Amino acid sequence: MSENLECLELDDVDSVAVVRFRDKKVMDPSRIEQMGKELLELVDDEDNQRLLINFANVSFFSSAAINKLIVLEKHVRAKGGKLRLCNLRPEVRDLFSYTSLDQMFQIDQEQVESIEALTE
Amino acid sequence: MSEKVLEIERVLESDPKQCAVLVRELLEMLEDEQWTQDDMFAIRMAVEEAVMNAIKHGNSEDRAKKVEVLIRVEPKRFYAKVSDEGGGFCPDDVPDPSEEANLEKTSGRGVKLIKTFVDECRYNACGNSVELVKRKS
Repeated sequence: MSENLECLELDDVDSVAVVRFRDKKVMDPSRIEQMGKELLELVDDEDNQRLLINFANVSFFSSAAINKLIVLEKHVRAKGGKLRLCNLRPEVRDLFSYTSLDQMFQIDQEQVESIEALTE
Repeated sequence: MSEKVLEIERVLESDPKQCAVLVRELLEMLEDEQWTQDDMFAIRMAVEEAVMNAIKHGNSEDRAKKVEVLIRVEPKRFYAKVSDEGGGFCPDDVPDPSEEANLEKTSGRGVKLIKTFVDECRYNACGNSVELVKRKS
């Protein structure tokens, strides 16, 4: 499913589109631009209205990358979809709490919790 | 005996790729000096955000304009000064992205993160230079 994606890996789990980042450190500006584009394109596909972003591989996430997620969240909401995040390392999770973005995003510890919430 | 102080002094073009090279060099230095992973994450976050702000917002990615970076790694203290050639800004005017009304805005988050991750963050009067201090854990 991920063959056309440069920055993301895409999987289907119980009809939820599960996305992972190929980069461990999401900080390169051109990669962030591409990542944002790919995320929005995913949501434009009617099959991906339930989206989970799994951060298992991510050790660093810049504010520019966070901004792409904010744009994505608005896009998902406008299309009536659902978005959750899971598996954030504590230091990456802190980025969301320091900027109060944990109020905007549904963040779970494990993927299984997110899948359950997205499929109930 | 005087304390060991390591320095990195660079004049960067306003090219985001140069930020990545600088950050890589800095992380190697911090690792060699046995800073903790938590400290390295915090310093990396603050420096990357400060340099990227200088490149993107300060110099508007104009390659003719430079970003000056001075970094000092002391045994118990990290110091950085990042200066650009832009007109500057007033950090107090940047909306706090953690306030409910600003949550969805895609600006101001970098400045907030810089302040969060270092012990001291000081802008000069015209707002085109910032000094960062982080004490070793």
